[in-house]
Amino acid sequence: MTKLQEYFHTDWSAMTGTDWFGLVLTVSVFIILVIAFFWTYNPKNKEELESHRTMLLDDENDIKSEK
Amino acid sequence: MQAEQQYSFQIVKWFAYMAVVYLVVGTGIGVYIASELAWPVLNFDNPYISFGRLRPLHTNAVIFAFGGSTLMATAYYIVQRTSAVRLWSDKLAWFTFWGWNLVIVSAIITLPLGYTQSKEYAELEWPIDILIAVVWLAYSFNFIMTLSIRKVSHIYVANWFFLAMMIMITYLHVVNSLAIPVELFKSYSIFSGVQDAMIQWWWGHNAVGFFLTAGFLGIMYYFVPKQANRPIYSYRLSVIHFWALTFGYVWLGAHHLQYTALPDWTGSLGAAISLAMIIPSWGGAINGMFTLSGAWDKLRTDYILRFLIVSLAFYAMSTFEGPVMAAKTVNALSHYTDWTIGHVHAGALGWVAMVSIGAIYHMVERLWGTTIWSVKLVNLHFWMATIGTAIYITSMWVSGIMQGLMWRAYDDYGNLAYTFVESVAQMHPYYAMRAAGGLIFFLGGCIMLFNITVTIRKAIANESAKSAAVANAVI
Repeated sequence: MTKLQEYFHTDWSAMTGTDWFGLVLTVSVFIILVIAFFWTYNPKNKEELESHRTMLLDDENDIKSEK
Repeated sequence: MQAEQQYSFQIVKWFAYMAVVYLVVGTGIGVYIASELAWPVLNFDNPYISFGRLRPLHTNAVIFAFGGSTLMATAYYIVQRTSAVRLWSDKLAWFTFWGWNLVIVSAIITLPLGYTQSKEYAELEWPIDILIAVVWLAYSFNFIMTLSIRKVSHIYVANWFFLAMMIMITYLHVVNSLAIPVELFKSYSIFSGVQDAMIQWWWGHNAVGFFLTAGFLGIMYYFVPKQANRPIYSYRLSVIHFWALTFGYVWLGAHHLQYTALPDWTGSLGAAISLAMIIPSWGGAINGMFTLSGAWDKLRTDYILRFLIVSLAFYAMSTFEGPVMAAKTVNALSHYTDWTIGHVHAGALGWVAMVSIGAIYHMVERLWGTTIWSVKLVNLHFWMATIGTAIYITSMWVSGIMQGLMWRAYDDYGNLAYTFVESVAQMHPYYAMRAAGGLIFFLGGCIMLFNITVTIRKAIANESAKSAAVANAVI
């Protein structure tokens, strides 16, 4: 076994329920993040997402403060 | 959006003003304890004002009193402005104001008396922990309900960051504070040994990640475009920044426990994810800074914008420095030294305080419908805050690296080359320099409090004069 293989060696039989829960959750979150990245930067979604850029600038003069 | 839209701004005003008061109080205590380290005689052999008791008071005052009040003021302000509705409940908002201030007063009383759970950034005893949870849930519930009645379809990204903070801090605070009470002001954590350490730093680093980063990024994503009067550079980048930060930050805590009883792989994982976090952090910093693309000249004249943009420079710097320090090789030198203190203050003074100060100046002008009393004083404050922070962090870098090198120096026989006391003696000039940097930052805060108080008093006086004139005209 190489040093690298040794470092990444996992005793799967020793995995507890908590370990499996954590592993599944972690891998799922990673996959969701990858999907989120490609969805966000898909050119088809650019217009929809970037349309919110100016949202803040549309309400500049409408404050009527409480006295 | 209708021009006559009404908002609940009284609560925002009170939180914003108290944030400035707590900035002065918290940094004032910080300057005193920094001076105690440089000149121990200032402890006066008095346990109530000793470094050990005042240090948690300082951290609680700047993080939870100043930072918390800023977060509550800005969240209540932003959620109303971006949802085009009043707060869901004014009463609940006032409950959070008085409840949060009760927490702060409780800290001011109990910490100098020595009541502590001995958990860093979570020292307060169990009855106060329960009060924090209740107030925090009320704050979060009011925020979420306000979003639920919004009059615009999209939830602006700043609100997402606030929501992430509210959800995660609830979770972190409750789990980290789980304890068995034995007396009114004494309890023992349900965790022990290495589990206690892991839970402590899972909380500790995520308090940084969600309380001091996510919440303040919410502030950045609203106030930078607003003050610059330009749209955010990239909305898509803000979306990626949000999701990567939210799901990445929770892994980092173990990097505080390198070379301890914690399993080695957890520290490696913490370091690896820390390095990966440079990408979203810098993405966010660039997103904020590039909002000024084509309008950099605004920095020449807009002193409030200077606070906001310089805060992003410090954010970028400290989110690069942090992962570097998390790497095991660097950590072997930097851990337990003043380098960590320098890093924390690059984030706390340079990022959190600067972005908060910019946001508060911005809000004061709009909340009271006036302009700031003295722009010159804002400018002076900016330079004092920047120079004070620079002196503070550079003195701690030099001090920390020197400490690390002295502690691990060996002679030809394998004996330690220096005693611990020798390293302490070498720190004195840097501790004095740190106290000076902190003092400059503190005095800047005093100037801000003075400037804002005069601005508010003049605005109120003008309003009263106008009302009197209208009343006289009617008679």
